[in-house]
Amino acid sequence: MVFDIAGAVLLALGLLLATIGLYGMLRIPDIFHQLHPAGLVTGPAVILVLLAAVFTGSAEIITSAALVILFVLITSPLSTHAIAQAARRRPRQSRDRSS
Amino acid sequence: MPDLVVQVAAGWATLLLFGGGLLLLRARDTLHRVLALDVLVAIVIMLLTTLSYVRDVSYYIDAALALALLALTSTLVAARYVTRGGPF
Repeated sequence: MVFDIAGAVLLALGLLLATIGLYGMLRIPDIFHQLHPAGLVTGPAVILVLLAAVFTGSAEIITSAALVILFVLITSPLSTHAIAQAARRRPRQSRDRSS
Repeated sequence: MPDLVVQVAAGWATLLLFGGGLLLLRARDTLHRVLALDVLVAIVIMLLTTLSYVRDVSYYIDAALALALLALTSTLVAARYVTRGGPF
């Protein structure tokens, strides 16, 4: 019973974070400000949804989810950083056109 | 976890996928599209995870792992393409 409630709370929290992040990305026009809600969706939301795997009770699912969590922890900041660096370094006229 | 909770979560993740598609359609710039694709991949990872909870099998999460690896590569290469005009 406790397992069910904890898993449902983790799933709902992760999907709520993703919803809030998507809404923020749809509202914000600038790329540097958009990176903040994008980091929310690609990082903590995915990790919370994957953490709910602990409460399924299946060893295979938990092992695969742990691998994906480890991978997302590495790749999500890397991709966000790459996009931010590209936005800062790209040629001047395209940056003016976007803002 | 109860079946109802997991199925509602899968439906919610599917709705989020539509939101990501809207984000991709509203992008005005190459970099906005790259960012929208990054977010779309994160949503697809969530969808595959909830699908794996619904079906109670593990190999959908393995597909999500491969997708995360490909998404990292494609994001890095596309960001470099925006900066330098070529992938290398």
